[in-house]
Amino acid sequence: MRSRLTVTLAALLTVALAGCTQGGKSASGGPSGSAGGTVELTMLTFETPNLPAALWDSAIARVEQKVPGVKIKKLVTPNVDRTTYAKQLASSGQLPDIMIAVNPQGFAEGGQLAEFSQDDLKDFADPASGAIKGKIYQLPTNAQPQSLLYYNKDDFAKAKIAAPPKTWTEFLADCAKLKAVGITPIAVGGGGQDTFASMYTWVGTVGTDVYLTDPDFSKEITSGSKTFDDPSFVKATDKVAQLAKLGYLDKQGTSRSYADHEKAFRAGSAAMYPMGSWFATSADNDKPKFGVGVFAWPSDDGKAVVPNLTGGGLSVSAKAENVDLAKKFALEWTRDKETSDAFTKADGTFNTIKGYQPPADMGPLFKETLAIYNQAVKDATVTPALSIEQGDNGLPADMTVPVQQIAVELLNGKSDAKAAVTKLNKEYASLK
Amino acid sequence: MRRSNSQSAREFAGFALPGLFLYGLLVLVPIGWTVVLGFTDRNRFAAATHWVGLEQFQRLFGDDQFWLVLKNTFVVTAIVVVVPNVLGLAIALLLDRNTLLYRLLRSLFFTPVILSGIVVSVIWQSMLRPGGVLNRFFGAVGWLSDPGIALYSISGILCWQMLGFCVVVYLAGLNGVPRELYEAAIVDGAGWWRRFGSVTWPMIASAVTINTVMLLISGFKVYEHILVLTNGGPGRNTTASIAFDVIEKGVRGDRIGFAAAEATVMLAIIVALSGVVLQVLRRREVHL
Repeated sequence: MRSRLTVTLAALLTVALAGCTQGGKSASGGPSGSAGGTVELTMLTFETPNLPAALWDSAIARVEQKVPGVKIKKLVTPNVDRTTYAKQLASSGQLPDIMIAVNPQGFAEGGQLAEFSQDDLKDFADPASGAIKGKIYQLPTNAQPQSLLYYNKDDFAKAKIAAPPKTWTEFLADCAKLKAVGITPIAVGGGGQDTFASMYTWVGTVGTDVYLTDPDFSKEITSGSKTFDDPSFVKATDKVAQLAKLGYLDKQGTSRSYADHEKAFRAGSAAMYPMGSWFATSADNDKPKFGVGVFAWPSDDGKAVVPNLTGGGLSVSAKAENVDLAKKFALEWTRDKETSDAFTKADGTFNTIKGYQPPADMGPLFKETLAIYNQAVKDATVTPALSIEQGDNGLPADMTVPVQQIAVELLNGKSDAKAAVTKLNKEYASLK
Repeated sequence: MRRSNSQSAREFAGFALPGLFLYGLLVLVPIGWTVVLGFTDRNRFAAATHWVGLEQFQRLFGDDQFWLVLKNTFVVTAIVVVVPNVLGLAIALLLDRNTLLYRLLRSLFFTPVILSGIVVSVIWQSMLRPGGVLNRFFGAVGWLSDPGIALYSISGILCWQMLGFCVVVYLAGLNGVPRELYEAAIVDGAGWWRRFGSVTWPMIASAVTINTVMLLISGFKVYEHILVLTNGGPGRNTTASIAFDVIEKGVRGDRIGFAAAEATVMLAIIVALSGVVLQVLRRREVHL
């Protein structure tokens, strides 16, 4: 009787453990099924109000038809932090076969991602963007201006500001005019888990004062030839500290989540909203009660600067059951006009496939934003974006959180430029 | 019929071994593995892992941020150990009556305990944000945006959540105090304070021990409240706890060896503090 009980318990335990193992294997997209010559590949996606499940499902179904032999099993991240979730999956050997908008740093150096060849990248306008040791592991699919200044036209009119500022001096003068009529000039966000939303003002000033003249600044930091004490970086940082000191920032906003940050701007909390180009689509699809305009970051000499990230595309696991098919799917996803149009409409991305034209019926703010970006490309005033840029031209991924948290200290006026750069240098030294 | 010692031992083993096996597999082995990892340079993406001895611990103790998160953890723990303990005892003394109203109030006080930390944090976040219900009464206070206040906001929320647990444990302790002792004290002319100091307080010593140790551990392992409410900010780690920093460094930052060393230090502190507190408090426990 006892031995039968033991055998039964052992069998139950075995089944339970086997169940766990099966779950992991299936999610890994490993050899989980290739019946009838079809390979099942896992694809890690993420959902936001702009990018709902239906959008992903229809895109997957459409591209599956164009790549015979591939069946996609969709995985969805529990929140928008795709990279952390992908790391968790990688830890247990479940790295998805295909991932979208996952920061490839770390994965690539660890040999976990497949490299895209020059031939794969021939259709891309900026094929070297996001390179890691000169190689591309994430398709440079989208250009996304990371920080522009969206503004409330009604507030500007109340403050008698006739046109958006072009120089930093004009910008400060306009902030003073807004404050004088009781309007908080600049919205601030980044509370809860959304610390990233605190970055956009600093991204703007570092773009105008550092990257515009020295686009390799991040490389120089990682090579050790420069530190954050560099005068241009201190100056850019001091601009943010001064905005806080002059009372131009909505300091309490540092406890607002990203979603609340946007809602607060829509509700009229501040006149200007430093944000990425995705806000244009959001505002076009759900118009605020006031008119919204946009301008690029004003620099000292009047150049309109657009901090930008080109990347955000698909990556393929080096251990996918069929790497070539997975890459084929990733490339087809990017080239498929209907899919690109759907994501452009939903999330305001600028597709970087050569010759791509966004749908004609895009909203006015998207068009205005795209025009600013295109002009910046012509004027060579597109710059990297602090802490957002990836690969050889970015800071180490481990610096992202410290930079974001130090940005909050600048925004709420608890730090100054000197203290901030000292902290950054310490943080960077602690990574070595 | 008397059972033999060997039969009793086999039965004991039959009941205890499966549990011990699972406990060892799911608790002791991971703890041991974490301690071992603390002596390596393990990084998720590195090709190889090397034994580095005490290097991670040296880096940890030389890191300003570690001392900051340790200080934050001690501040939160101190507040969480003292406030719910004191308030919990006071409320338990008030609720130590057996009427419907008091039974309802007990359930009410216990409700936050059964909510997850995430749920509690999301609710409080909505009340503490700019324009939230609290700021309508207190004006523009940066509950979660001011680095000088945010840590105390988180501590307050933890106190609110743990208060019900303390109340219930103290009520159970008060329930176990023989009424004859109070009657004898009254006959002897003892007032309320004298009865509390000479009868109640010594008789609920075991409840004090349970609450103190549980609150100590709760304060030390606080993670989800920080994640949801402040993500370690506002600013650089102004509200980060050791548990939060371990996850940040290990899971998001890939520095598994470093995070394991930090987790090992955290474990050592909790074991040492719990051990000392248990020893001190148990000395004054009364057994009838």
